[in-house]
Amino acid sequence: MRVLEETLSTPGTESVISLNAVTREYASHGNVVRALDSATFAINSGEWVAITGPSGSGKSTLVNMLGCLDRPTSGTLKIDGTDVASMSATELDRFRADKIGFIFQQFHLIPYLSAIENVMLAQYFHSMTDESEARVALEKVGLGARISHLPSELSGGEQQRVCIARALINNPPILLADEPTGNLDAANQKIVANLLGELHRYGHTIVMVTHDPEMAALAQRKIALSHGKVFCHPTSSSRMIRLQR
Amino acid sequence: MFLRLLYESFRRQRRRKLLAGVAILLGTTAVTAMLALATTIGDRIHQELAVYGANIVVTPVADSLDVKVGGVNLKPANGGAYLHESDLIKLRGIFWANNITGVSPELRVDSVAIVGNMNSAPIPVKERGLWFDHDLGGLRTGAPQLHPWWKLTGQWPQLFKGSDTFQVVLGASLAKRLNLKVGDGFILNGPTQQAVDGHGQASAVGIVSTGDDTDNEVLVPLQIAQGGLGADNAVSRVEISARTKPEDAFARSDPDKLTGKKHDLWYCSPYANSIAYQIREAIPGANAEQVRQVEQSEGTVLSRISGLMWLISAAALLAAGFAVSAAMATAILERRAEIGLMRSLGASRSAIALLFYSETGLLAVFAGACGYLIGSSLAAWLGAKIFATGTATTFASIHIATVLNPVLLPIVVGLALIVAIAGSTPAIRQALRMDPSSILRADA
Repeated sequence: MRVLEETLSTPGTESVISLNAVTREYASHGNVVRALDSATFAINSGEWVAITGPSGSGKSTLVNMLGCLDRPTSGTLKIDGTDVASMSATELDRFRADKIGFIFQQFHLIPYLSAIENVMLAQYFHSMTDESEARVALEKVGLGARISHLPSELSGGEQQRVCIARALINNPPILLADEPTGNLDAANQKIVANLLGELHRYGHTIVMVTHDPEMAALAQRKIALSHGKVFCHPTSSSRMIRLQR
Repeated sequence: MFLRLLYESFRRQRRRKLLAGVAILLGTTAVTAMLALATTIGDRIHQELAVYGANIVVTPVADSLDVKVGGVNLKPANGGAYLHESDLIKLRGIFWANNITGVSPELRVDSVAIVGNMNSAPIPVKERGLWFDHDLGGLRTGAPQLHPWWKLTGQWPQLFKGSDTFQVVLGASLAKRLNLKVGDGFILNGPTQQAVDGHGQASAVGIVSTGDDTDNEVLVPLQIAQGGLGADNAVSRVEISARTKPEDAFARSDPDKLTGKKHDLWYCSPYANSIAYQIREAIPGANAEQVRQVEQSEGTVLSRISGLMWLISAAALLAAGFAVSAAMATAILERRAEIGLMRSLGASRSAIALLFYSETGLLAVFAGACGYLIGSSLAAWLGAKIFATGTATTFASIHIATVLNPVLLPIVVGLALIVAIAGSTPAIRQALRMDPSSILRADA
């Protein structure tokens, strides 16, 4: 196991996420279901990692724990150097607001708030709202002219870009993208993929759950899950450049 | 952002909020009406029961006269003595002075009446000196106030100082027996007066029908009776009507055996017993006792009505709480995705709870305030209906400014808040327990 851990971390680079024998079990109808089984790996700062696997492989469980929405039954999960397993629920809420930016497959924008207000919502729960910052974030994702539009007035790709702006607004060290292009057509998929690539170039750590082999290929490294167990594969970043072209 | 979220929740969930608001409104309307009635019903019942006479009677410690109220003999006769009329002003200085609503002193004199010419045979009559419209330190009071069931034909006597004649009111039976009517004159002399000395020229200004022994008496101003008896300032008995708290076991405690705070609590509670105790302290040589018949009736009626009102209020609030709970549960269910998103954005449980409680609180304050206004009007209307004096009562005839009790507003709004918060807590707790990741995925 130690050997695996060593191979997963780039020597000399700081791990922003590290799991050591992380297990998550659920009680179900009197039985114990092991959704994640002794997962051990690390993700370095600035790395783009794709998590893949079939349904029921434990992807959601892993994402919930990386997103500080759940805690391991056993093992150590460190995010940005902090062991989240020992945190109280309140500390975990605060930690999540500081460290994680979520990008959802279904965008999850509040339908009655405009694009800029949706971005400001993340600011509100983090610290305090700043309209000019929110506007800049939307401009960065190419939606400077659409800030006052409601989600229903935006295309799927635009909604996902609002979601990305919202994820970035508090400058979290980790972006957790759950099937970010799963609901998009090819054109919008390309736009979002390019945007993620750009964020990666700017040094953001991206953990992306995807079923899409093309999206997974854009990541530097692929972590595959099967029956709750982790398998890791290094990935070339050359595909991403090809997609951009 | 907080206000924006708050505003949008009201705008987008108008029907849910309306349902919860109406539930709170109905609950607080019922509570306001009940509380408003409960706070005034004591006075109203006291007014109603005042027709049965005084609830405290003061006699000299060594009284020889019967203590009668409504024909009920409350005290055996013993040695004679008088109270001083001038001491009655001290009633205005006791702790519960403001609860005393009526004072009627009396002085009974065995007199004689000579009807017709001076040669007519004197007829023994019972003369009773009373206040009819007396100013007792700012309290206008007298026998007619304490005996509202007396039916008067004519007017009550007035006292004209320096006049040779004085005004009297005749009991109906006596008037019939003496064959006198309103406007007739006759000679009325007390034990110390002689018919020949020119005193005692009485003028009947009214005839009163009371249904008791008073029908056989001559009612005169107190000062006239004192003159007839030759005992200035003398009073044989005082009837007092006071607003009191219903009697309970503590009220029946012996104050002299109570110590410290218990004594103070007893003394400072408006029990008929404690008011009587304070009267005994204030007036030398006075023996003050509560008239149990009236007092107990008042207490029983009040405690039963109060109990019923509290029951109705509690039921109304409980129903409102359930309605709020149901409305909030549905409203929160509709906003599961929103809650999941907020949690994933780092919103703490307390931040989300604050948002929902603020919504409920705002609704409760608004609905509670409306309930207060409607409930106050309802109380005024109900009060007027229940204690109607024969005049037609409509909502239009009720002036809202006169029925609003500002003390009730914070109480009612506070109750609305408690009910709304208690009602919405199960739904909010359930929402906070929900796993945000499952909400977000379920929504997908």
